[in-house]
Amino acid sequence: MDRRTFLKVSLAASTSGVAVGAASQQVFAQAGKPPTIAFFVKNVTNPFWKGCRIGAEKAAKELGVNLEVVAPTKPDNIEEQTRLVEDWIVKKPDAFVFVPVDYKALVPSIQKANKAGIPVIGYNNRMTDIEQVTYIGSDDEQIEYEVATYLFKSMGGKGKIVHIDGVPAASTAQARKRGLERALKETPGVELLVSQPGQYRRLPAVQVFENLMQRYPVIDAVVSANDDMAVGIAEALAAAGRGGKTKVTGVDGIPDALAAIASGKMFATADFSGHDQAYLAVTAAVRHLRKQPVPKEIQLPIVIIDANNVASFPKTPEERGVPSWDKTIAAQKR
Amino acid sequence: MSRAAYLLPAGVVRRIDHGLFVVLSRLLALIVLVVVLAVLSPQFLSWDNFLNVMRQASLQFLMAAGLTIVVLTGGIDLAIGAVLGLSACLSASLVSQGYVAWGIIAALAAGAAAGSVNGVLVTFGRIPPFIATYGMLWIAHGLGYVFMKGEVIYGLPEAFRFIGAGFVYGIPVPLIVAVVVLLALHIMLHKTVLGRSIYAIGGNPSAARLSGMPVRARLIFVYMLSGFLSGFAALVVIARINAADSSLGEDLLLPAIATVCLGGTSLFGGVGGIAGTAIGAVILALVVNGMNLLGVQTFWQSGVMGAIILISVLADQIGGSRLIGNRS
Amino acid sequence: MTESTLHPQLIQRSPALEFVKRAPGALYLLALMAVVLTIFTPEFFTAANLTNVALQVAVLTIVALGMTLVILTEGIDLSLGPVLGLCGVAASLMVVAGYPLIAAIAVAIGIGAALGLLNGSLIAVAGMPPFIVTLGTFGIAQSIATVLTGGDSVVRLPDYYRWFNDGVFMAIPVPIWATAAVFGVTWLLLYRTKFGRYVFAIGGNRQALELAGTYVDVYHIAVYMYAGILTAIASFIMTARMNAAHPTIGVGLEFDAIAAVILGGTSFEKGHGGIAGTIVGALAVGVLRNGLNLLDVGTEWQVAIVGVVIITAVGLDSLRGLNA
Repeated sequence: MDRRTFLKVSLAASTSGVAVGAASQQVFAQAGKPPTIAFFVKNVTNPFWKGCRIGAEKAAKELGVNLEVVAPTKPDNIEEQTRLVEDWIVKKPDAFVFVPVDYKALVPSIQKANKAGIPVIGYNNRMTDIEQVTYIGSDDEQIEYEVATYLFKSMGGKGKIVHIDGVPAASTAQARKRGLERALKETPGVELLVSQPGQYRRLPAVQVFENLMQRYPVIDAVVSANDDMAVGIAEALAAAGRGGKTKVTGVDGIPDALAAIASGKMFATADFSGHDQAYLAVTAAVRHLRKQPVPKEIQLPIVIIDANNVASFPKTPEERGVPSWDKTIAAQKR
Repeated sequence: MSRAAYLLPAGVVRRIDHGLFVVLSRLLALIVLVVVLAVLSPQFLSWDNFLNVMRQASLQFLMAAGLTIVVLTGGIDLAIGAVLGLSACLSASLVSQGYVAWGIIAALAAGAAAGSVNGVLVTFGRIPPFIATYGMLWIAHGLGYVFMKGEVIYGLPEAFRFIGAGFVYGIPVPLIVAVVVLLALHIMLHKTVLGRSIYAIGGNPSAARLSGMPVRARLIFVYMLSGFLSGFAALVVIARINAADSSLGEDLLLPAIATVCLGGTSLFGGVGGIAGTAIGAVILALVVNGMNLLGVQTFWQSGVMGAIILISVLADQIGGSRLIGNRS
Repeated sequence: MTESTLHPQLIQRSPALEFVKRAPGALYLLALMAVVLTIFTPEFFTAANLTNVALQVAVLTIVALGMTLVILTEGIDLSLGPVLGLCGVAASLMVVAGYPLIAAIAVAIGIGAALGLLNGSLIAVAGMPPFIVTLGTFGIAQSIATVLTGGDSVVRLPDYYRWFNDGVFMAIPVPIWATAAVFGVTWLLLYRTKFGRYVFAIGGNRQALELAGTYVDVYHIAVYMYAGILTAIASFIMTARMNAAHPTIGVGLEFDAIAAVILGGTSFEKGHGGIAGTIVGALAVGVLRNGLNLLDVGTEWQVAIVGVVIITAVGLDSLRGLNA
């Protein structure tokens, strides 16, 4: 056998070796077989989803089920998540706990999951036209409305603001923008200078905002669609020496933002707890599998975090306590 | 110039004249752009805005500097964004825990290592640079995800942040850093044997090989340098935004390529230079700045950038070919 | 007569052995993965899963077929991803606004052809590097698509639209028919017409064509237009799959298509290669991703593995001298 063939064969052997290693883990894991839940997130880069994952894992551990985290390799990629859903339908897990990267484009794939008889528990981004056991989320529109109203009150009902939007096609971004618009309508003294998308990511938001800072020498407040962008914007303001003059709000409640609020760089944020949503979603999935009652929808309460109460919030998702299922259900308005 | 004529094949000498044309035409475009923006937007001509633009241009330039040199050899490096992201994560984790020096070394070493792998794949593996660096892009991203596990690292020490956010005599540090890198690379490209050989490899690969120069070693060095500069740029970026996460660098690749093209460096290799890239970075930063100041929706930015690329290269073709007298 | 006593050129070369030697690394990769996956995951070799994979790579394959022709002319087309998004958005906006489907199809194909015309003209007539030209049109197409929808998706498409992806004809899904049809047409064009011969010639030896007096530019432009038209066709399948059109749906598709073409053995230089290899390359990419999902390999590792596999497959071809 000549050298080239040898190389080919050895490469084939090592590749299959790797595959064996990866697969044997699964083969051994199949034995014993607690229920498997496929837990979908939008990407593996935004810390918000890490919080979700930790909440989900806590629930899985408590309830003794197997959790598989599923995310697209290209963050927020629609086509990839579609493929993931299709591939996972073939694997027939016991349930999907699902958030769509695009709440419209993923409908056909989830409909396929419905047809395949896989129970779907939705969380974080509401989907329509599909069958789901329950939906757990927070009302994005109400959240941004309350944060904005709180901000406007602290501004005395007057001033100029800039809005940094998330990913324009995302349902959370659209809902939050509607909440801001509702608050603006009720507070005519506040003027919206401009709204530009920051794609929910820090660096693009900072780059957009740095240029906006040049265009508008006076900005009384920045309403950011999420915390990752808000913290970056707060830093940009501080670096430009405008930190004290502009209030920044975000949404999510990530540790970074809590630290910024504590140090005075950010004004406020809202607790959009992916951690809690995921915990409750996995709990709901298990309850459904055990034929226990599950409500059609669970809305998490809205909590605004600012300098007054930031100290009482746990700094990381790991430290956070888990919500009580019974208390949450009891607190539901409907 | 006469020494260069000895070392280089005849066609390349004429292309150096072309290079001068390219730089001059860019400068002209730059001046026109500045005038137009000054007229259209009252906030444009402020010192603050000028510093803002130059700082953004510096970051753009650092990303595109390494790529320029790779392109000069007739290759391409698609991994620069992903390598920047990986280096950023590695160094941020060390720097945030106080190991500033180790963090800096980690970024530069990671970048250089990734670049060297690219270089080896392209030379000894004889894999086309497009595929080798495209594969490396995936690998670097993947390693970044594995390392970060969805976390964000934030809160870097003040002393380190000086690199990205500090000022020296009122001038932003990234700008100073960019100018130093620009000068260093320019001198390397035009005054050293290594630099001239880079042009030769790109301009006439077979002649370069036949001349007996160590082409493979030089190419590996070039890709290593590109990775090194990506790591370097990573340090400036994380110092600027005071955070690092694994999605950093994803959308930095295409603007970097645009910067290089805008700067007049030909993707065929052997033509162009680092000065052009610097001007290209400034032009691009001006365009983005202008669009934001004029309230143009960000959706239009990629289209405007695309149009600029087309116009500038087309102008090169028409203008340059008239100068040289042939269509290359 | 033993082999050792004969001059190598006189030895009967079995066609099978020649095929094995010349086949791109992706074919072996595909075979290897198929075997490994069948052994280790019960779900891989099922009709449901294999149909899934075929449907998943349909869009990629159609685009990659057009890309193959472009690469055969020593060019590249980075704009095909956003063109897919733009065609999808334009067609669905028309349909939602009440225009007949045939008009939407015409508009989509028109857009693909127009952008191909722009690309081809700048490359063939103005002599600009394909990388830069298509990078420019990438940005332009992306912007237009995003502005048309304000960054949002286009939804509430009529039910019949889903036929493009979900329809079945004689027990075979529509996208597979589409891929087969496109492959057939492309094969005929490439291997049975003057156009095809010119495609190879533009890649291999453009000057010879020019000296022979042919209007090379026309054929060169036609190649890019063909790639644009194929992408427009693929956009219908993609839109139907999501039941929505999104301007950024094609992002990254062009790089995947280029990878599929290169994996399939077509090389950037000298215009070697062909479209059969492209199908193998696209399938290899699809099976790899499907396999990694079925094996529960974590997302973070999947990303790195894809990179390693691409480099390895092409590297093997280089070592075998196929990339010379």
